[in-house]
Amino acid sequence: MKNFSIKPPQVIILIFLIVLIGLAYVLQMDLIVLFNESLIKLVMNGVLVLSLIPMLNAGAGMNFGLPVGITGGLVGLCIAVNFRLTGFSGFFMSLLLSVPICGMLGWLYGLILNRVKGREEIAGTFIGFSVIPLMNYFWTLAPFQNRQMLYPIGGQGLRPKISLEPYFYNVLDQFCLIKIGGIEIPLGLLAFYGLICLFLYLFFRSKVGRAIIATGENEAFSKLSGIDIAGIRLIAVILSTILAGIGICVYSQSYGFIQLYDEPLSMYFPAISAVLIGGSTGRRTYIFEAVLGAYLLQTIYLLTVPIANQILIPEVTEILRTLITYSIILYALLYRDKRGIVH
Amino acid sequence: MEIKNLSKRYNGIPALTNISLSVKAGEIHGIVGANGSGKSTLLNILSGSPLIRETGGYHGEISFAGNRVNLKNCAEAIRMGIGMVHQEFALLPDLTIAENIKLSREHTHKFTDRLFGPKYSFIDRKRNDESAARILQKLRLHLDVDVKIINLSTNTRQFVEIARVIDRTDLKLLLLDEPTAVLSRDDGLNLIAVFREMAQNGLGILFISHRLEEMQQICDRVTVFRDGAIVSSYEQGEISIKNLARDMIGHTVHKATAPKREIKARPAISFQQFSVKMPGEEINGLDLTVFEGEILGLTSLSGHGKLALGYGVMGMYPTGGEVIYENKKIDRMDAKANILNGIYVLPDDRQALGILPEHSLADNIIFTGNQIKNLFSINFGRPFSGFIDRKKANAHVHQLVRNFEIKCASLKQKSKELSGGNQQKVCIARALTLNPKLLIVAEPTRGIDISAKEKILQMLLDINRTNHTTIVIASSELDELKRVCDRIAVMVDGKIFKILLPDASETEFGLALAGEEGTKNEEF
Amino acid sequence: MRLRQRAEQLFNIEHIVPVVFLFLSFFAWQVSGLTGTFVFNQVLTRFIRDGILVLSLIIPVVAGMGLNFAIIVGAMSAQAALLFVISCQVAGLGGILSVIFLSISLSVVLGFAIGHVLNRVKGKEMIVTIIIGFLANSVYQLVFLAGFGTIIPVANKEIILSRGIGVRNAVDLSMYRNTIDKFWLLKIEGLEIPLFMILVVLLFGGMIYYLLHTRFGREVKAAGSGSEKAEVAGINVNLLRIKVIILSMVLAALGQLVYLQNIGMFDVYTAHMNADIFSCAALLAGGASIKSAKIRHALIGIFLFHTLFIVSPQAGQNLFHNAALGEYFRSFVAYGTIAFALIINVKRENM
Repeated sequence: MKNFSIKPPQVIILIFLIVLIGLAYVLQMDLIVLFNESLIKLVMNGVLVLSLIPMLNAGAGMNFGLPVGITGGLVGLCIAVNFRLTGFSGFFMSLLLSVPICGMLGWLYGLILNRVKGREEIAGTFIGFSVIPLMNYFWTLAPFQNRQMLYPIGGQGLRPKISLEPYFYNVLDQFCLIKIGGIEIPLGLLAFYGLICLFLYLFFRSKVGRAIIATGENEAFSKLSGIDIAGIRLIAVILSTILAGIGICVYSQSYGFIQLYDEPLSMYFPAISAVLIGGSTGRRTYIFEAVLGAYLLQTIYLLTVPIANQILIPEVTEILRTLITYSIILYALLYRDKRGIVH
Repeated sequence: MEIKNLSKRYNGIPALTNISLSVKAGEIHGIVGANGSGKSTLLNILSGSPLIRETGGYHGEISFAGNRVNLKNCAEAIRMGIGMVHQEFALLPDLTIAENIKLSREHTHKFTDRLFGPKYSFIDRKRNDESAARILQKLRLHLDVDVKIINLSTNTRQFVEIARVIDRTDLKLLLLDEPTAVLSRDDGLNLIAVFREMAQNGLGILFISHRLEEMQQICDRVTVFRDGAIVSSYEQGEISIKNLARDMIGHTVHKATAPKREIKARPAISFQQFSVKMPGEEINGLDLTVFEGEILGLTSLSGHGKLALGYGVMGMYPTGGEVIYENKKIDRMDAKANILNGIYVLPDDRQALGILPEHSLADNIIFTGNQIKNLFSINFGRPFSGFIDRKKANAHVHQLVRNFEIKCASLKQKSKELSGGNQQKVCIARALTLNPKLLIVAEPTRGIDISAKEKILQMLLDINRTNHTTIVIASSELDELKRVCDRIAVMVDGKIFKILLPDASETEFGLALAGEEGTKNEEF
Repeated sequence: MRLRQRAEQLFNIEHIVPVVFLFLSFFAWQVSGLTGTFVFNQVLTRFIRDGILVLSLIIPVVAGMGLNFAIIVGAMSAQAALLFVISCQVAGLGGILSVIFLSISLSVVLGFAIGHVLNRVKGKEMIVTIIIGFLANSVYQLVFLAGFGTIIPVANKEIILSRGIGVRNAVDLSMYRNTIDKFWLLKIEGLEIPLFMILVVLLFGGMIYYLLHTRFGREVKAAGSGSEKAEVAGINVNLLRIKVIILSMVLAALGQLVYLQNIGMFDVYTAHMNADIFSCAALLAGGASIKSAKIRHALIGIFLFHTLFIVSPQAGQNLFHNAALGEYFRSFVAYGTIAFALIINVKRENM
């Protein structure tokens, strides 16, 4: 949080945001409703954004292999739904299941990443890409019994979109919802998010956490100081993967559907660009930056939909979103080394 | 080739000042000098290395074959007929011998030459191979030219490197940066004969070497560099190894800060046939015993292995041989275990290995102690073990900052914002926090201003005297070593060549560094 | 020792990947029950369609820039050129020539820009080219979905969506379809061999082979082997890398044109999708690595990869009664091959 300074991407995003809010106002949209929704969107995507932090801090770069963690979380969700668990028990069961599954996946993923030091990003991208079809096998062949999850007729395996309505849809969103006038504050949801932030904050204050940061900043130094680099990086990758699993659980309960098959692919680029918008340079990242970035990006996404529908061609929203996302990632990749550690 | 008043600075630090020298066609001009005397900078300028341009260019005049020239890049230098044989090989590892030798001078088919121009013309591989083989034969070498460079020994690579340069028909000036350093004596002599022959054919050669004996044999003139300036120059016939050695080191008056001591204690650590595979600084079969409580200096020309010792002990590079520490054999060079046993290493490259630039000064000082020895931590039990007890840590850091006079705005200042001298003090403070029994320091005063240098040497002496810490200082600053050390070991080719006392003469050190046997009783 | 060396030679990556592919595709073909002629014809068609795209990857690999995922940008510039020409209603030979001219000039300009960008991020070219590909895709969609009919006037109303803005999802290329495919079509008992097009692909292969064996090619190889050392040897590495990328992009653009005219139907928004991934996977399947690639890797790779590609859905259907599983399998093979190459290669580098 010290040395937080505004850099070109943030300037562009802020200008864009102000223009959008202005437009929304001119078009007489309900700003309060938008604000309410923005809070939910923040947490919905925020945990996924937070999940990038351990790997960034360990110097393993942006986690382009986020689908690994996401699919792990999806498995947890599916199992919980399979047993028709509802309400909080369903949600927490899926978290409980996601953690060990993601832990194992993260362990494997970390072992691979330790072998490709310096090229984690490109390797992660393709590991992520290859996990998707591999998991498609699982979705198709795994013996799930809940009829509501399976293809209604003929088909084999799980549906691409499983509704959570009868199970734990919005269970966090609705928990301790406080209404002040038109403003709705989802206290339970925010508290859950805050808890994860606090956990991360404390973790990076602990001995292991500090070793992770030091390793990311100067690997040779850490090695000379007797730190087990491979082990430390492994811990960071596992933590990232587990958080990604939790992230997808939170996302799904807000969204109301479990999205399977190729869907995880569309989720991680926004998450990465969010953390970059927040001010991360692809190296050490503060929790504040991740939260801020998630909020800014999600609010922009939120605003573009109705505005584009009113004044533009509908498809343009989605294109503009991806355009913003990729530009920011490209910008970060190009300018990272220049803005990194200055000797 | 004529050079007048050439100067070059790196970030304000002068590397060369007012150098004037000339190389005539058909002459072999030798240059000797210790590390950092500016020889390499000179060669970089003459070969048009991009490094020079990036760091702000040079001042002075260079004329070549009568015309004043301004060398901007390598391609231009090559066009003018300057060829350079690099100390670190400039061979491309994945290309074959023939491809390397003939690179950008390939023979091409006549037909496609006319069709697309020489750059896009089909290469006549057979002719290239033949011509490459012919050049190698000139160097009395018979090799399969289809072998990739990556599969060759260093010895052979050096020959290929030379073959690449002498293959050029337009060559007028040849720059040789220690061409014989990696060769065996016989191969070196062989090569020298080739150079002689080439010089007789009208080529100008600028020859840099540490082997003084060679200099005496082949050079028509020898110029001695020291600290970026010319010290002396000898014509053939007046060249003597001893003069060269003396001029290279120079006479510096020094006050003996450390009174002479006789150390007859138990050995703290001893290395037997120790080797470290650090690229460019290899240690190869080192035998050395360091006694408890002494300060041992370790010096060598760069590339001869003095820096690798600490890194080897910490397991940064693959090692071989035996290390016996406190009468126990160290099986595995593991940084953590060694730190726990009381060994600590301060690296020569502070920026890359010595500090955490984005961390505060306080964090830098306590980092290793906290991570390895759990100093300054409060325990809440796992997984939140090891939060820092800030109060205890700050008190400790405060004490050190005051003792060592570390200049900083606050304890929270980022270490990258500190000056080099203060960064080094932070490193030593970190070492002291660990309270090691054996401290290996590499180049403790490199890139540090004079006053801080004194302080740092004093700090090392104090640690040695009050804490009885055994210290090994690897440094190329002979002058400084002589002031603080009890013994100074000179390394050549990754082995201990000689162990001298600090009051040995300059000539003795000069000869030892160059790997020449000198007799002790001859004094100048 | 000797034995180990021989074993290493036998199992080195250049041989083992193609062998695995051969084995897999043979097995999948057996399970699929498709006739040999059908598979062969299909593979041959793919060979023509994708051949030049795969070949366009070779030079960047030799130059040490890894797999150039930005060939998708070259493919898109060819499509953009095609759309512009169609929208101006230039038909016949004139149309074809102007498409070729326009796509080459577009890809040269874009290649120049991408080359500059890649010089900034030496050592991280692959991830950057991937992101560039995604970004270019967004821009492409923006131009043709929102720009056409609004900012850019379109004469040809046939290709525009009914609302007057944006290009339709599919544009018919009947005016250019199969203009050259049917040259010298050889028919031997059901086997259709478009000899001319095979020769075209082989010609491109020969051209690249030729280029790599000129002084230019040697410089490329030198830059790939060690960029700083090549600089010392008097090569302007940065300029060379830009040239390499331009070359790769132009080849990709031409390759995409061949691909489109062969299909005859032009899916405006999806035709280029995965062109990069599948081409890279095909090249790697032939035994290339991200450090070294030869013409033969590309040619063999296309055959192996696409055989597997064609037979796997049917094999999935027969094996699990679910064609989708075969499709998952082939995407896994495509991505997995690249991931594997990346992991293996870095490991070798570290040794």
